[in-house]
Amino acid sequence: MKDSSSTYQPPKAADRFLRWFCREELLEEVKGDLFEYYLLERKTKSEWRAGISYWFHVLHFLRPFALKRKIQDSNFNIMYKSYFKYAWRNMQKHRTNTLMNLLSLGVGMACFIFIFIYIKGELSYDKFHNDSDRIHRVVIDLFESDGGILPDATTPPALAIALQRELPEIASSTRVFPKWGRKFLIGANEDQQYFEEELIQTDSSFFDVFSFPFIHGEPKTALDAPDKMVLTRSMALKYFGRENVLGETLTIYGSNNQVKRISAVVEDVSEFSHFTFDFLTRLNFNNIDNNWGWWNYYTYVKVNQDTDMRALGGKLLGFYESARPDQERYAPIYTQAITDIHLKSNLKWELSVNGNMDNIYIFGALGVFVLLISCINYLNLTIADSLKRLKEIGVRKVFGAHKKSLISQFLIEALLTIIFAIVIGGVFAEALFRNMGDVLGRNVSMLQVENLQVFLLIGLTGVVFGILAGLYPALHMSSFKVASAVKGIVSKSGRSAKGLRKTLLVIQFSISTIMIVGTLVVFEQLKYVQNSDLGFESEQVLIIENSRRISNQETFKAELERIPAISRASVADGIIGGLNWTMTVGTPNGVLMNYVVTDPDFIDAMGFELLEGRNFDKERPTDAQGGNLIVNKKALSDLGLTMEDVGKPVPMFSNGDSIINGTVLGVIEDFHFTDFKSEIKPFAFVYRTNTKDYSYIKLNSTNIGQTLTQIEEAWNVASNGAPFEYYFLDETYASLHVQEEKLSNILLYLTFLAVFIAFMGMFAIANMTIKDRLKEIAVRKVLGASVTGVSGMITTKFLALVLVANIIALPLSYYLMSEWLSGFAYRTDLGPLIFTLALGSTLLVAWITVGYQSVRAALINPIRNLRQD
Amino acid sequence: MKGTQLGEFEELVLLIIGVLYPEAYGLNIRQEIITQTGRKVAIGAVHSALSRLQDKGFVKSELADATHERGGRRKRLFQITASGKRAMEKNHELRNSLFNQISDLALKGLNFGETN
Repeated sequence: MKDSSSTYQPPKAADRFLRWFCREELLEEVKGDLFEYYLLERKTKSEWRAGISYWFHVLHFLRPFALKRKIQDSNFNIMYKSYFKYAWRNMQKHRTNTLMNLLSLGVGMACFIFIFIYIKGELSYDKFHNDSDRIHRVVIDLFESDGGILPDATTPPALAIALQRELPEIASSTRVFPKWGRKFLIGANEDQQYFEEELIQTDSSFFDVFSFPFIHGEPKTALDAPDKMVLTRSMALKYFGRENVLGETLTIYGSNNQVKRISAVVEDVSEFSHFTFDFLTRLNFNNIDNNWGWWNYYTYVKVNQDTDMRALGGKLLGFYESARPDQERYAPIYTQAITDIHLKSNLKWELSVNGNMDNIYIFGALGVFVLLISCINYLNLTIADSLKRLKEIGVRKVFGAHKKSLISQFLIEALLTIIFAIVIGGVFAEALFRNMGDVLGRNVSMLQVENLQVFLLIGLTGVVFGILAGLYPALHMSSFKVASAVKGIVSKSGRSAKGLRKTLLVIQFSISTIMIVGTLVVFEQLKYVQNSDLGFESEQVLIIENSRRISNQETFKAELERIPAISRASVADGIIGGLNWTMTVGTPNGVLMNYVVTDPDFIDAMGFELLEGRNFDKERPTDAQGGNLIVNKKALSDLGLTMEDVGKPVPMFSNGDSIINGTVLGVIEDFHFTDFKSEIKPFAFVYRTNTKDYSYIKLNSTNIGQTLTQIEEAWNVASNGAPFEYYFLDETYASLHVQEEKLSNILLYLTFLAVFIAFMGMFAIANMTIKDRLKEIAVRKVLGASVTGVSGMITTKFLALVLVANIIALPLSYYLMSEWLSGFAYRTDLGPLIFTLALGSTLLVAWITVGYQSVRAALINPIRNLRQD
Repeated sequence: MKGTQLGEFEELVLLIIGVLYPEAYGLNIRQEIITQTGRKVAIGAVHSALSRLQDKGFVKSELADATHERGGRRKRLFQITASGKRAMEKNHELRNSLFNQISDLALKGLNFGETN
């Protein structure tokens, strides 16, 4: 009788799987039982549930009794076991070689892992926002006097509002107003107040654009009232000792205290964000929504899904033109993807020091280079080693080994080495991460979850490289003829192996030389930057922040100048080399001019030399009004003035139709106030009598410690309780070249490692060559050759290889480094010294590595090597 | 002697084979274990135990005729061998003798609170 249930079929894949692993003789009864069980299950359960249950029982047959015996003890398995055994024996037999192989491969992999994870971090900036591909920053370039443009990250406050109103593609927009060097005195009560820097003022739409993860509170309501405040987890802990502080209040102290209600707590801002904050409050300036004149806001927008950014770019230009009817020329307005800002944007006023795409390429190339060098090393050593194993291979072939089985044997040996090397590399890389946090500028660990995945990926890459590195010797050695192999005759193939070995050595040394030259040039450039005359006396200048808190700055300055170690004190509203403002000077053709507001003592204190004209004068009140400037030479010439015009009123500002005159009171020499990549730009000093942000103190003593104590005493008397926070002007200048500093550090480490690996390779190859030629050396000595003669014969060959490598590498590195240096407006010369040094050092180290061994070989009593056979 | 020991689960399977005689095979042995002891076991576990019992010589088996509800596949029917019977008896005796050696005192000691 036909049973309807017999039409049910258990999952086919499960059956196939069972058939694959289950022993033939058990299969029938097992399948029968399972099938019967399945039919029973189907009576009460759905197909899906029964299928799951069927799979469960099939998987339960994965027990030793049911598995096919083939997997356990077939010929196949025994062979593989023996391969592992031989590989292990071979590794132990050549301990030095094995160790060198593992070390150089391990170091190479460590570099690769290190750089890979570092680059991955750099590339992941700002990707944590939801829809990060739809978030953009809108920026407008400024015009410079010569018609050039000055890329600038800041925008007027009216822009964000107008964009959202006029362009339907913009889903939401928000303004970010950063600290601009200010400090905020914030406290939960009178007793517990701290100075805070990381306070951003923004719009209620901040969280429509950005998505910083919330711990407490809601993004929708976080900033919907002017008195609301958002803070980070660590700030909540700092002020209240707990995380959930919703509803608490914090006061921002100032001329009029502002009480803020805490509406949300967010996670501390990720280090992979191009801007950071501890507090968010609402913007509370009047009349900014229609203001197109203040360039100190950052505008971020989130566009709608599937917006064509190029089309939007075109619309932006038109929009800006219609929004600014008062403008004669329209500076380009454009968008930057938020994920590109960290690596690709290098505008004036970036919110933090950005990375540099060029450096990423350089690091990436270096990582691959070092890995390449170590793989070449491995290849080289294995090939050299293989020539010694001809007899073993011959015997194997006589016993009936196929080409295939020889290949698998060598591949297994290679993979075993690679796996060991990956482990060593992983340990090295982790050690690097732990020790180089400050070089990288952030903490990295392979043990972080997201990096473990990367590690697996690298492991896979390593295995692929391992197969490549193992395949050549495997194919090469298994192709020997049996008879010649047993006799130890290496015919053409041996010679070709030696040729390949030489080529590989040359490649290694070329890469090493290029890296040496690169490191030297980067260091030279940094030294040049650090030692260059900036155009004024920048040493021993102390800057004290929070100076606005001093009510009478003139008295404070007088007090300071009573300290013998202080030669001059001054105050200013900006930091040369750091924070300064820009204005447009000159009419009809405006010059975009950087300026700092100072007092009359500044010029003297900083050691600026007046080429023409006079300094500001306290006795002449008009100096502190209107357009009375002291400018650098560049500014003078850009304004179209000459030294003759100094001291005479010239048209300087246009205010609608009226033109206001100003006077250049004095001219100073050009000086550096930006990084050395750009040309010196126009700069002006302006004198005003208001209270200023920073105190500048010029020291004339080397006893910094004692002087600082004295300054602090004077500060504490005058500062109304503001903290004594200071730094030296040199530090500001040093921070302009952070990227180059980072590059030079990493380059130094990598070059050292690359050279180390290359020379380890050369050491091993030389070692083998000499061992091969011990008899020849002995015969030569018996026939009267001297020690120097014999060792010279061997050393010269290796030195020749290094020379060839240098001949290839030096012109190449000259080209590469000229390219790199051309990115600097002020740069060091690529003198012959650097190249001589690279050539000399590679030759010297090669000579020591090979020379030592060859002399030792030449010193051996010839009898010892001739006595056998 | 290694290999002739009767494990706890094996003993259970062996007993059930006896109970189900002559119709004992993998699936109904499992079903019986579930109904008699409430222990949920996988089919694979039963087969594994059967294979061990057979290796030790405690059971023998033969293939029965094909039936329709198994998709035409034959089932393997198990029955206890003489040595299997002996192993069962030995286990049974050992357990009984051990149980009998437990003194009254030890058993009484379990009766908390009940005094003579």
